[in-house]
Parts: sequence; structure tokens; C-alpha cells
Amino acid sequence: MQEPLPDRRTRMPKILSIDKSPEDGLKEVLRFLLENGKVKGVVTLRKTSEDGAVSYSLITNPDDIESTVPLLPLMPVNLAKQLSRLTLIEAATEPIAVVLRPCELRAFVELAKRTQGSLENVLFISSTCGGVYPLEMAVEGNIREHLPEYWKAVGQGELVPNTRLACQACEYFVPYTADITVSLLGNKGIEEETTLFLNTEKGEAIVEGISEKFSEGELDATTIEQIRSKRKAEKEKLSDEVELRNLGIDEITKIFSRCIGCRNCSKVCPACYCHVCFFETETSQHQPVYYERELDKEGCVNMLSDTIYYHLVRLFHVSTSCTACGQCADVCPANIPLWAISLKTGEAVQKAFDYLPGKDIGEGPPITTFVPEEFAEIA
Amino acid sequence: MTTNRKGALLPAEGGAQKGIINFAKQALKQGVFDAVLIPSRVPAGDSFAYFLIRNEAVLEGASPLSPIMPVQGARVISSITRLGKGQKRIAAIMRPCEARATIELAKLGQVDLENITIITMDCPGVIPLSDYFEDAAKGDKVFEDAFQNWNSKPMRPVCRICDKFSSVGAEDLHIGIIGAKSGSILLIPHSSKGEDVLNKMGLSLEEDVNDWEASVNKLTEERKQKRNQSNEGLRSDIEGIDSLIETFSACINCHNCMRVCPICYCLQCHFDSDKMKFSFDDYITRAVARDGLTIPTDTLLFHIGRMLHMSLSCVSCGMCEDACPMAIPVAQVFTLVGDRNQEAFDYVPGRGVDEPLPLTTFEEKEFLEVEQSYAGASARQENQNA
Repeated sequence: MQEPLPDRRTRMPKILSIDKSPEDGLKEVLRFLLENGKVKGVVTLRKTSEDGAVSYSLITNPDDIESTVPLLPLMPVNLAKQLSRLTLIEAATEPIAVVLRPCELRAFVELAKRTQGSLENVLFISSTCGGVYPLEMAVEGNIREHLPEYWKAVGQGELVPNTRLACQACEYFVPYTADITVSLLGNKGIEEETTLFLNTEKGEAIVEGISEKFSEGELDATTIEQIRSKRKAEKEKLSDEVELRNLGIDEITKIFSRCIGCRNCSKVCPACYCHVCFFETETSQHQPVYYERELDKEGCVNMLSDTIYYHLVRLFHVSTSCTACGQCADVCPANIPLWAISLKTGEAVQKAFDYLPGKDIGEGPPITTFVPEEFAEIA
Repeated sequence: MTTNRKGALLPAEGGAQKGIINFAKQALKQGVFDAVLIPSRVPAGDSFAYFLIRNEAVLEGASPLSPIMPVQGARVISSITRLGKGQKRIAAIMRPCEARATIELAKLGQVDLENITIITMDCPGVIPLSDYFEDAAKGDKVFEDAFQNWNSKPMRPVCRICDKFSSVGAEDLHIGIIGAKSGSILLIPHSSKGEDVLNKMGLSLEEDVNDWEASVNKLTEERKQKRNQSNEGLRSDIEGIDSLIETFSACINCHNCMRVCPICYCLQCHFDSDKMKFSFDDYITRAVARDGLTIPTDTLLFHIGRMLHMSLSCVSCGMCEDACPMAIPVAQVFTLVGDRNQEAFDYVPGRGVDEPLPLTTFEEKEFLEVEQSYAGASARQENQNA
């Protein structure tokens, strides 16, 4: 059983302030944690090649923190999926700190609920998130050029142009179960100041001894609310653009018509954790007669016929735990607006169960909890 | 090089695509086949897929030379016949690289060819999926223009250097387009199955194929040169472990290159199996030893493992590169490696179904130069004896 994390709302969080940009301030904290043996390892983004490629790395040497870019707005992989790999066979045997986005944290909490990883011994550092740029921008190699614009918009609490559409439409940009939250969105001082909210006792204890300023306070609720309204409005606008309203079978057929059946959306999805996907089993392989019967009946058979079936089943499986990270859309070779489909489906299903994935580790996944009086209108 | 091959000339007034469709319709009508497997535009209009077609009216709308390759045809044939041959006699109209991959899959027991007749055509290449899906209407036009002039510029990088764009032996029947008389296509049988088709259709082999052959040979030579240049250029970029790491540094380990690859047929890839899951302590140990462990781990190992498994059968179709979200030149790297490995074994994947896979055939005298460095003495001894 996982111990529920302390509820950060029961106490006034401590604030740790560092007179450096958030990236440098955070790097100082990470170095402090490693140097003082408070953690054995740190997982964060790191430059991995001369030409600017970036990937998550598990770092144990404090000197290597210099090459990290913890707040670079890019999500090469959803870290939840990777943390699941790190802690699947056994929980972390020594403490580690990870820097991740709120949607990644929520996704990992969902995986932990499904015993696909363990929160034990992991210190979660997240941020009020301005979103990430699409992988396409990493491919083009011009993320760095966009950074001044990014940080300006983030500091002002504005939508950041050219970020993932899933990010522009995201209203869960404040992390739920982070031990430490870096205040970024709507924080006008981010050019020269790092503000870290120590949400949990664990978060508070771990930075003990760092020679920086401490105070007390909370995120400014008004600012957060303002940003949330902007994101909600953008979500409506973007959903309209991909024409998702009143999806019937015709629209679904149309929207998935470009699917090439590669299932990469499921491979990168943190919520799709099955080791062997049903659609890759023998059960999903057909005898020739399967096609021949259809051929006799219809006169022609689309040999990519199971794609819609696949997408619907996938939505069915992941919609209670989808945190709308947008990774699926970024890797789709056919440019299908999967982020919007997952977001809208997830939203509807999650609303029906009054469940927000990753909000609370103590709350069981809806399908595993039976409430006799639930959905009386259907029964 | 000229042969004494003969072909059957078929009118194709509306262009090669129409000619191929008319031929397929005729074959269906005459009962030569029960169905045709052919790319067609999907109902939504913005993409293409393989359709198994019996209905002649539906066949009318097919696109044998579709501008894109969303799925490799060999995978499609495998999905129909992997569990056994069907009852229907199917004409599979596909690109040469798809036909070659089909032959490789047949050798690997993933395809049953008994009721399949493979029909290929001179292939102008396909444009990358990302280009096409940006604007399908524009993609259609770009492809059509390029096809008219055999201009390979807008095509997949590996299509631009493809030297096996025509008849390579994998097919039962080939459709010559380059250098065929204008307003016609040339049907050239390459197996008794192919000859049988033409016989049943009452098409006699009267047409001289020298012009077609000359055009194919000319373009093949050009492409071979381009291919060598491209391979050499790439080799200097990726050779050595550091350059190789750099080449794959953006890899997010999604394995999509593997899933769209016609040759990677394992239902469960080793790299997706529990064998590649490690304990927390193992990850920490590696991180300490290497000054940081890149996550996801083992990405380069995956690519090298995949290369080892499939490069002898790689047909350079380019699916992997099109499906890579990080635009890594996977297909170009695999082409370079594949070419060299295939050359070492004097093997051309998909050239003929009777040609066994190199790794299934043991020749005692093979690769003495490799063995020499390990067992120099015994090899020298053998040479002396010989």
C-alpha cells in the first residue's frame, strides 16, 4: 500500500527563495541535494548532444548538474512512463529527486495506483507549467530561439504561442502532489528569482541546510484563476477548430481516416501500460477467411480496418487516467489531433466519475471502486 | 544489357494508373483472380490504404501509384496470409520494395504466397507522409507532377536513391512504364504464374522490351551512383561510436521504426520484453558508472539490435523514417548498413523466393578473411591444403 502524501492544504507552505533564474535556482537545489547526500540520484532533462538534443537523465554526480536543463519546455518522453520502468521491479532503494511537469506527475500517480511503479523514496519537484513545445520543434532544433518569448509569456501568465495545443488547452497546470513546486506561471519575478513552494514535510526537510532565504506563503489564487480562465477559453476554441462537437460514427471515421495503424500513440502514452497490447496479440490476428467473408459481403475490404476499433478501445481503456499530456498527438505520423480527442473523452469520462486522474493517490481508479448508488439514471 | 524478354502491350490512354486499373479489372472479369489487393484513397479522401477489392466499380477508383505509402504492402499480405493461405486467388499490385519485403516475409514463414500473384510496376517513389499530411491536395499535385517527369526530388530520401525501382525478380508480373510506348503499359511476366495470367487473359508476348529495359538500365545506373554517393556521405557522418550515438541522440525509444517495418515481424520484440526491464539498483549502478544514464535507456542498443536482425532483408522502403517522430534518418542509416551487409553475402533481399536467407545457409569457406584474425593458423593451413 502506498502511504497517502500529506495534504498540502492543511499547512501553510514554506517558500524557499533563491536570487537566480528558476533554471539556475533549481539546478542549485539539485546540486545541493546530491552534494549533501540527501538523494542518490536526480532525474531531469539534460543536453545529450552537441546539436542540442535533450533527454531525461538519471544523474548521480553533482558535477553533471551543470549540463542539465530542468525547465526546458520540452517533453521528449512522458517521464511517468520512464519512472514506471525505474520503479517497476522494486521501489527506489535510495531516495531520488525528479523534476517533471504536472501532467507527468499525475500520470505517474495513476501508474502507481495500478502498481506500475512506486512513489516511495521519490521526491517530486514540479512547477506551475507554461507548457512544452512540440517535438517537431526539437527536430527543427530551434527551441532555444523561442525561449525568450516563452519565459516572457510564462512570467506574465499568458498563453505561450507555438506550444503543444494540449498545453495551451490545459487547465491543470498547478501540480497536485508535488513535494516542491517551482512558481513560474504569472510570476513576474522569474527573470532573477526562483520561488520554490515546499508543499510537504518531505519537501521542507530535504532542503534543510541550504543557505538561502525561507518564508511562508501560497500561490496567488487570483493569478492562477485568471490563467485557468484563459486556458479554458483556449480549450473551447481549439476544440471547435478540430470540430469535435457531436462526434458520431461518420466524424470518428473521418478523423481517424489517416491512421496508419502504427499504434505509436499507445506506445508513448503513460496511461497505456499493458506489457502486451491486445491489438498485438494472436487474438487480434485474423484468419484469411475473416477478410474473405467481408470481401464476399461488401465487395471490398479496407486492410486498415481495425484502426477505429483500436482507437475506441484505447480511449475506453485510458480515459479515466488520461492527463492530456499530448504526447500521442506529437508522435502521430498522420497528424491526427489525438490530443483533442483524448482530452475531450477523458474530460467527459472523468466528470461522470467525479475523478481527476493523479490528484489524490488515496483515491482508487473509478473502475476499481464500486459505488452501489452510482449511475442510477443508467441502471 | 539486353535480354530476349518479351512483353504484352496494353493501351493506357488515361495514363499508367488507369492502364493498371483496366488490366486489373479485366483480370477480375475474366476470373483470373478472385480479388485485387491495391492501394486506394480512403473514403475521407485525405489518405490511402490497401483495399482488397472484388467489385469492379470500386476498383475503378483505386490508386496503384498512390503518392504515399502509409503501410508497407508486405505487412498487409502478411496480415492476410500469416495464419495460412486463403481460398481466394489474389493479385497484389504493389511497389517493387513492397514485393521484395513480401518475398523476404515468405522466406521467414510470415507470408503464404500460394494464392498470391505479385504484380509490380516501375515505381516513381512516394512522398514522405509528413509532407503529404500537411496538405493532401498539394501532395497529390506534387506527386503527379513528379511522376510525369520521373523527378525523384519530392520523394522519400531513400526513394531518391532507389536502384531497385523496377523489375527485380520478386514479382510474378511486372508492369513497365518507363520507356514504354506512350499511351500504353508493358506487361512483363517473371514467373510461370505471371505467364499464366497473361495466357488466361489472352495476351500474347509479342512486344519487344528493349526500349523499356534500356530506360530502366539508364535510370538504375544513375540511381546506383547517387546511392553510392549518398551512402559515402552518410558514412562519414555516422561512422564511429560517438557519431553513431549523436545520430540517434534524439531517439525517444518509441520503437515506431520497428512497428512499421515490414521485416520486423516478431510479435513480441526483445526490446519490449521483460528482459529489458531492470531493477532500480541496476539503473543507479549504470548511472554512477557512466556519469549519468540517459532515459529512456538502451536506445542505441535497440537500433543496433534491430539492424543485426533485419539489415540483410532490409529493402530500403523508408517506412521507418516516415514514422519516426524525431526525424532521425533511420532509413538512410539502415540502407547504408543493409547495402554493405547484403553485398558481403552477395544477397539481394526479395530477388527470388528460392534464394535462401544468408543466415540460414552455412558455407564452410565463407568469410575466411574474418576468421583469419581469430583463427589465422587454421585458415592458413586450410588454404595451403587447398
